[in-house]
Amino acid sequence: MSKIHLKNKAVTIIALFVLLFICFVLCLSLGSVRISPKEIFKAIIYGGDRFASDSLPLKTVIIVRSIRLPRVVGGLLAGVGLSVAGVLLQGVMNNVLAGPNTIGVGSGAGFCVMLSMLMLPGVTWAIPVFAFAGALIATLLIFALAYFSNTSRVTIILAGITVSSFLSAGINLIKTLNTDIIININSFLMGNLSGVTFGSVWLPGIGITVGLMLAILFSKHLNMLGLGEGVATSLGMRVSAVRFILLVIASVLAGCVVSYAGLLSFAGLIVPHICRRFFGNDARFLIPCSALLGGSFVIMCDLLSRILFSPYELPTGIIMSFIGGPFFIYLLIRKKGGRRIHA
Amino acid sequence: MLKYENVTISAGGERILSDINVSFQKGKLTSIIGPNGCGKTSLLSALNGSARVEKGNIYIDGENYLNFSPKKRGRTLSFLPQVRNTIPDISTALLVSHGRFPYLGFARSMTIEDKRAVEHAMDLADVKKYENMSVEVLSGGTRQRSFFALSLAQECEYMVADEPTTYLDIPGQRKMLNLYRKMRDEGKTVILVLHDIARALEISDEILVMDNRRIVFKGSSDEIIEKRIIEQVFGVGVKRFSDEDGTYYVI
Repeated sequence: MSKIHLKNKAVTIIALFVLLFICFVLCLSLGSVRISPKEIFKAIIYGGDRFASDSLPLKTVIIVRSIRLPRVVGGLLAGVGLSVAGVLLQGVMNNVLAGPNTIGVGSGAGFCVMLSMLMLPGVTWAIPVFAFAGALIATLLIFALAYFSNTSRVTIILAGITVSSFLSAGINLIKTLNTDIIININSFLMGNLSGVTFGSVWLPGIGITVGLMLAILFSKHLNMLGLGEGVATSLGMRVSAVRFILLVIASVLAGCVVSYAGLLSFAGLIVPHICRRFFGNDARFLIPCSALLGGSFVIMCDLLSRILFSPYELPTGIIMSFIGGPFFIYLLIRKKGGRRIHA
Repeated sequence: MLKYENVTISAGGERILSDINVSFQKGKLTSIIGPNGCGKTSLLSALNGSARVEKGNIYIDGENYLNFSPKKRGRTLSFLPQVRNTIPDISTALLVSHGRFPYLGFARSMTIEDKRAVEHAMDLADVKKYENMSVEVLSGGTRQRSFFALSLAQECEYMVADEPTTYLDIPGQRKMLNLYRKMRDEGKTVILVLHDIARALEISDEILVMDNRRIVFKGSSDEIIEKRIIEQVFGVGVKRFSDEDGTYYVI
């Protein structure tokens, strides 16, 4: 049982920041064209300013500013959003199986994104709005179902699975009936970061940032939910209200990510688990750690999907499952020893 | 005094208890005993909202407890439920510090006073040496004492616990009940649901006997022995022994 004390916590957070920064620079520099960190820096700061002392070729500036930077920023935000949503959902449901993909939040968002492609094709602003609405509707539906059938963590996860499979059927129905949008949808269903632009990422980006801040603000409440409903109520917490707020935050986070990255939700299940293993269960610490590690994880997966079979590109979601899956299983097998301390 | 007045309680849509009238004396240790399914847990669950009060009122020192805000409830009465299907993987110190929740503002930062209450609770429950260990890896007895420390950190006049000794070994049970007795000696009002009839008779000031979702009897251990209540409700005999160390009961 690894125990992390206060000063180690600060060191851990700093280390994760450094890791994220290294990944960030790596992702900007590697690819079909290699760009040195120095050139990246110049391209971001000065851009194509011809009066800067030794100006860069326009091609480099465009690659960095218009192609790689939005993609990496998008991946980073996706990792943050999904991981934090996962931490929140697992906490609220008190269930290790909960995640944006298992609880219907992801498929809710996905279904509404499909609807927006069907009803408002080509209207870019509609996608994040629909995605958030879908995530929220799915969450509220699950919450209502669980509430009216006596809110327990078991009924919530059951309701989530039910709603999730219902909406997945909806996604598949649209996919089958309308062959015109199928090209977008295939990469959408797997989760893909290629083609992310600042235009598609700024609005969800604001949502994810706000969601992250709210999640940190409510981390103590999340900790209390972990004590079980009975204890939390006895301590004077409005359990149902807190659950509701946390579910809304989670659906903002997950919905925003789905709007531009598709159903990339696997990160939302495994990153929180990995962080729990390494950093413990205190949400005040777990949320920032998951956000930082989740960001690094998603952009590194995206980097691999770009360079492994270059010049061909894989959807990011495929790499994520190929790398994340086995690593996760390794963690599950290498269980911590069942040692008990006697009084 | 904690007083139930014509209280009807339902849980999971089913009416469990009807028109209950009972009061728990201030500064006393009262145990509730009765066969499984007799409604003990529902009676107490009304105090933290796990069971619904359909009718009637619950008064605490003359005030209507049901009208208290959740936080005021948490400052007045600490309640340890029986079922803990989730054992949190957090340090003991963090667990106990949650007991201060009803006192914190939205900023949630602990004052020196809060920290002192947490330290005091851990010392009293004898879990200070486990403060950096995860609650998950503690033994049953230590874990139960950690939860006791959590409820102690709430600094409530009234301490209620549903089966605090279940699943504990004999020394663990003794230690736990001695802590509640100590609380009583310090002037707190303690209400416990217990399964161990002999121990309940031994340590309680008053005993509430329930059967078939009704209150059968309430009185001291002596009265219960005299009126042969245990025989009638549980169908088992009980014997009382006394020596210079005290009085014991054998079922």
